[in-house]
Amino acid sequence: MPELTSTRMNPLLDPALHIWGWEIPVYLFLGGLVAGMMLISGYLIFSGRYRERTQCACYQVPTISLLLLTLGMLALFLDLEHKGFTWRLYTTFELTSPMSWGAWILLLVYPAIAVLLLLRAPDAWGAKWHGWLRPVLVWSSTLRENPSAVRAIGVLNMLLGGMLGMYTGVLLSAVGARPLWNSAILWLLFLVSGASSAAALVHMIAQDRDERELLAKADNGFLVLELFVIALYLIGLVSSTSAHQQAASLLLSGTYAPVFWVFVVMAGILLPLIVQILAVQHKVKHTAIPPLLVLFGGLVLRFVIVYAGQTSHWIPVTAAALR
Amino acid sequence: MSAPLFKYGLFGDNMGLVVAFGIGIGFGFFLERAGFGSGRKLAAQFYGYDLTVFKVMFTAIITAMLGLYYLSVLGLVDLSLVYVSPTYLLPQIAGGLLLGFGFVIGGYCPGTSCVAAATGRIDGFVYLCGIVVGIFVFGESFSLIEAFYNSSSMGSITLPAVTGLSYGLVVFLVVLMALGGFWFAGRAEKKWAHIRPE
Amino acid sequence: MGTPEADHAALRPAASAYWNPYAAGIGLGLVLLAAFVIMGRGLGASGAFSSLVATGVHTVSPSHAEGNAYYQEYLGDGTRHPLKDWLVFEVLGLFAGGFLSGILAGRVNKSIEKGPRISSGRRLVFAFSGGVLMGIGAKLARGCTSGQALTGGALLSVGSWAFMMCVFAGAYLLAYFMRRQWL
Repeated sequence: MPELTSTRMNPLLDPALHIWGWEIPVYLFLGGLVAGMMLISGYLIFSGRYRERTQCACYQVPTISLLLLTLGMLALFLDLEHKGFTWRLYTTFELTSPMSWGAWILLLVYPAIAVLLLLRAPDAWGAKWHGWLRPVLVWSSTLRENPSAVRAIGVLNMLLGGMLGMYTGVLLSAVGARPLWNSAILWLLFLVSGASSAAALVHMIAQDRDERELLAKADNGFLVLELFVIALYLIGLVSSTSAHQQAASLLLSGTYAPVFWVFVVMAGILLPLIVQILAVQHKVKHTAIPPLLVLFGGLVLRFVIVYAGQTSHWIPVTAAALR
Repeated sequence: MSAPLFKYGLFGDNMGLVVAFGIGIGFGFFLERAGFGSGRKLAAQFYGYDLTVFKVMFTAIITAMLGLYYLSVLGLVDLSLVYVSPTYLLPQIAGGLLLGFGFVIGGYCPGTSCVAAATGRIDGFVYLCGIVVGIFVFGESFSLIEAFYNSSSMGSITLPAVTGLSYGLVVFLVVLMALGGFWFAGRAEKKWAHIRPE
Repeated sequence: MGTPEADHAALRPAASAYWNPYAAGIGLGLVLLAAFVIMGRGLGASGAFSSLVATGVHTVSPSHAEGNAYYQEYLGDGTRHPLKDWLVFEVLGLFAGGFLSGILAGRVNKSIEKGPRISSGRRLVFAFSGGVLMGIGAKLARGCTSGQALTGGALLSVGSWAFMMCVFAGAYLLAYFMRRQWL
């Protein structure tokens, strides 16, 4: 890393050198998690489970999704340089800017999740509904009497969840200056990782035993996919230009290798996968530990990719070049 | 092939940490298999009815010792590159006694308490918290005990060097001693079997 | 999913027996040998907690930690994060390996290890006190049962053998007074 001097190579003077802190990885993680939860609750609703089960996870998930998404947005907002101008993102739509796409996707995601809350309304609060909230109850029962509308909402959630999950990866791969992020598969990695984190989280909170089993199995599938996508991502980088190879070596054997191999691959994917495969076969009991490891691994993945990405360069910066 | 692999530059510090995690998994796995995640089983060593701690520890010591010795005789491992921690006799004797007290009072040692905590033992977790506090106390009072801590320094000294016997002979004697110990352990377990609780 | 009874049985499989101590010992010895051959160093545990304590103190008060020779040893020269340490990663693996073995054997459950004649609260007080003594002792001896007794023992280090004898001596000395806790 170049030394900071008072004249140049200083983020205060060259804003391009501004290093992303914890906010962006946390936002990307929460965004991916919510995307995965939308896929799951969308599927549970689309498949009609909400009617068969009194304790369908799709009744709790939307509330948690809204909370997590808001936390993620807060983290993103903290990172913005010009906080007062955030609203301007919504005065235009830039076809070529992933930031613009993201801002608008997020704007659609909120109501899509919120409408899921309507499904639960009569069950959850029943008799207590009165006064000005009364119309909500009416909308809710109208919605529940109309299965095709409910299915459409399920599909909408799955679609928007997919878009949100992809966008968290595209946001990084659009930054051409960082070879580590310059991969056409990053969006898939973040989507699959978001789905595995979400399946883990919903598995932990689901009340219905069948649903827990289903989600644990789904999580195992997502984790296997994630391993596969990580392998493809790294192979893609290693077989590319020397700048990409150097970027990949940051993860494979460099500064970020211990955290990447240990926390992301071994403790975040392999260990929970082994334990959870045994758990769905009823050879060991279900514990909260595999899902917690998956969630932690997903968070660390975002940190590693964001931090290591910022260290990767097209032209290796040497001390001589800076002098 | 020359070993230790790390000392011959086969991989760097960063990959060393990944190796550390893998070795730690093996370490924890066998400790748990032996029953060392259970404070009762560990403490039983000191009441004579279950000498698993002694058996496991000395089997591990002679396995590693013999393996290392044969690999070095075959020229596959350079023994001089394996780090032998230096001897500071008096602090190690005092530390050993304190550690022994802590072992029978708390029921674990640092490694086994990690395994206990990982398998859900609350006392193992509390014990770990105690270790952290103990290390903090030690660190904060370090200036008071620094002189004693660094006293009786003897360097990286080994039994063959002290006794003047060859490395192979000491290895042989240790194995003999361990085998005698295993025989004795079996007798002791029978003798004290009646005090096993429940 | 089967019947509720089957589910119940499946959720709580009976704990399997521990391994034969000699088999577990050979396994442990081979792990130690692997550490020697691959890394040129042995196993350890307490050192990881020293790194943790040093990092914690440094986070709260950097100047205090840097002024202390003991913490400084674990903090290093500042070019590397103190938790990016060999023993820290080894101990993380220790947790993972212990958990893996425990869950495969059906031995992971929230419980307290104690004899039948002591209350849980008192047992936890003893566990904590034992931990404190162990922490101080391990630092004084420059290692614990794994770092000194096991590793140093296999390498025939004089200090390690003296240490090992003292651990057993200390524990046997106090065992009689601790019998209400375990028997």
